[in-house]
Amino acid sequence: MAGQGIERREILRILATAAAAAQFPGFSKWVFACGHVGNVALQIKPAMYRPQFFTAAEYAMVGRLAEMSAFNPVSPVRKLYCVAEFIDFMVASDPGVQYNFRTGLTGLNADCERTLGKSFAELSPDQQTSPLEPLAHKARPGEEDNRRFFSAFREITLIGFYTSEIGFKELDHPALKLYSVSPECPHKDDPEHLYLSRVNS
Amino acid sequence: MARQIYDVIVIGTGAGGGMAIKTLCEAGLKVCALNAGRRLDPEKDFRYHRMPWDMKFRGLDDPKRRAESYGYMDNEYTKEAWEHEIPFTTAPGTKWMWPRCFAVGGKTNFWGRSSARFGEIDFRAASLDGYDVDWPVTYDEMAAYYTRVEKMIGVASTIQNRPSNPDGAYLPPMNFRCVDRILEAGAEKVGVPYLPDRIAQLTQKHEGHPACHFCGDCTTGCDVGAFFSTPYFLLPKAQATKNLEMRTNALAKNILVDENGRASGVAYIDRTTKQEVEVLGRAVVVAASCVESSRIMLNSKSRHWPSGIANSSGQLGRNLCDHLYGESARGYLPQLLGQPSFPDHVSDSTIAWMPRWQNLKDPHEERFIRGYSVYPDGGCLDFPWYANGLDGFGSSLKREIKRRYPTPVNFTVQAPSLRSDTNYVDLDPEVKDPYGIPVARLHFQWDENALKMWEHSKQACAEVLRAAGGVLEGAGEAPEIPGYSLHETGTCRMGNDPKGFVTNRFGQTHDVSNLYVCDASVFLNCTDKTTTISILTFSMRTSEYLVENFRRGEHQAA
Repeated sequence: MAGQGIERREILRILATAAAAAQFPGFSKWVFACGHVGNVALQIKPAMYRPQFFTAAEYAMVGRLAEMSAFNPVSPVRKLYCVAEFIDFMVASDPGVQYNFRTGLTGLNADCERTLGKSFAELSPDQQTSPLEPLAHKARPGEEDNRRFFSAFREITLIGFYTSEIGFKELDHPALKLYSVSPECPHKDDPEHLYLSRVNS
Repeated sequence: MARQIYDVIVIGTGAGGGMAIKTLCEAGLKVCALNAGRRLDPEKDFRYHRMPWDMKFRGLDDPKRRAESYGYMDNEYTKEAWEHEIPFTTAPGTKWMWPRCFAVGGKTNFWGRSSARFGEIDFRAASLDGYDVDWPVTYDEMAAYYTRVEKMIGVASTIQNRPSNPDGAYLPPMNFRCVDRILEAGAEKVGVPYLPDRIAQLTQKHEGHPACHFCGDCTTGCDVGAFFSTPYFLLPKAQATKNLEMRTNALAKNILVDENGRASGVAYIDRTTKQEVEVLGRAVVVAASCVESSRIMLNSKSRHWPSGIANSSGQLGRNLCDHLYGESARGYLPQLLGQPSFPDHVSDSTIAWMPRWQNLKDPHEERFIRGYSVYPDGGCLDFPWYANGLDGFGSSLKREIKRRYPTPVNFTVQAPSLRSDTNYVDLDPEVKDPYGIPVARLHFQWDENALKMWEHSKQACAEVLRAAGGVLEGAGEAPEIPGYSLHETGTCRMGNDPKGFVTNRFGQTHDVSNLYVCDASVFLNCTDKTTTISILTFSMRTSEYLVENFRRGEHQAA
């Protein structure tokens, strides 16, 4: 079965290890449910999303962590992306990861209280970055449990984001277009691509 | 009322069955085709133009099905097409993945489309290296069939003059992307070929089929038919002759025999009524795919054939081979950091290949015999899978993900296993499917030769990547499990000696002259090439031989 790029397998592996969904509560903004009736997406009317797994306090913390994990650490954009809904849906659907997510949130809160005197939610946006810094860098020694939790959390956040329309647009994902001819490298005079202009490096 | 007797009953509608059906119907024979699943409705079943966020599970799958999923190919885009009702078992110590598509067209609905011819180096491999036996055919006698198939299905590639890869009749190739140009330059430095793949993807209009629109989702089906599949390319031509009766949801149970032990029809289970049905024919073609064909024939026991039909040699089900697949290397190309995104995904990854370059001058120059091929890929693909290997979080992480998006590359090895007495298919004596039919039991281990190829490919691909200026980040820890490639071969091998082979050189069983096999089970091994185009080619030849036998009066026509 030549032609199966590693990336498809990889995303499935990631999703399999990260979380799963056993039921579909209906996301409020960025997901349409498809009943597989015809090739037409059956849109579920937006509804107030009620967390399926996390408590209200946990859910708020999840939302903030999602913003910080993959978006802007100091400028909340939760209402735009709603990745917290995706995370809750996935965790609610996968009993195998629920313990780790719940204890991970608890552990992070405990560390914040021990080191900064406040729970994570009570910290200012600027202060909230400091407990995450050691967790987000593999090379740094630190709390192994919290780092594993944050790694899993970051992973599921990225899945939620980069399978969303806004994630595609941010990458300028080529699947947003179709092509009349097989696209060809435009740098024929530079086969090793050693002299490309650096537009975003 | 007399029961209808068809000229030929064909079991299976994939590459082998589809070619047989078309060939036989166009020759004027009345054909009854049995297909174990339903017809796909492209409008309903091919969802490849939906974006992930339009799918309930982002295109992945309902996690409730995780335990039964076949992995990457069996997702929300394709899930109703893959077979899950009919189980199989594995012997202790065997791991086997057996994705089956029982829908009309079989796996041609979703195949990888790489379409290289087998060559004389493959057919004469045993003479070259002393292992096993040669194929009972030569490249010269197969070449014209390959050409006809290539023109029929449309294969895009270039003339490459490679000793292990005969050239053919090609459409314009897929163009090389930036990642290809860079890796090509690296491969040239270390003496490894990096060339356009032979890919059955229409780079221009062909035989009434539209050109590809390069959406990049081929392996979830194509509702315009811009790559070969039997429902788009072969079955409509058979239907047009009015010589075809297609029976769907018809799960073949066993081949019926007459008082002389010759094939007289097929018993099947109508999966909609759960009833057993018999259909009669003057000849039978088995083309249910390698393992399933063996299962059907092993289940076809009678007083004439107590160990399965056409099994006097005892070789039915034996000699199972497969392609070892694995990630030989992965990394990224720093030259492309921060570059604008590029449509690298347009072929679902078979734009380029690194065709076998080992053991070409001397069959024993490496620590393994024969050879393997590699499929490189990379660039801006479906998901930034490299993100989990990056440090950081927040805006800086996203910037790095974007910066790296055009750069990742990976290499997948395709290494053939060798024939072995210990790799085979039999019937599980204790387990039956929901219809009471004994299930297939797989016995399989990777051989030392294939594992040496796997290790060799890791070193070779790392060298290519480094020579291209790339950064090597790792390789797969282990090969994919057997069955993953969907390229199983053997189990009904062809050969001239009735004592050692199930079929003769035309795919006609030695024991039962009106029973033919038209899938990869007749292949002696799986070579370093993919199987589909060779299944089509051998099936065309077998089917024309069958037609000729009808004309000679060996199988009386209706």
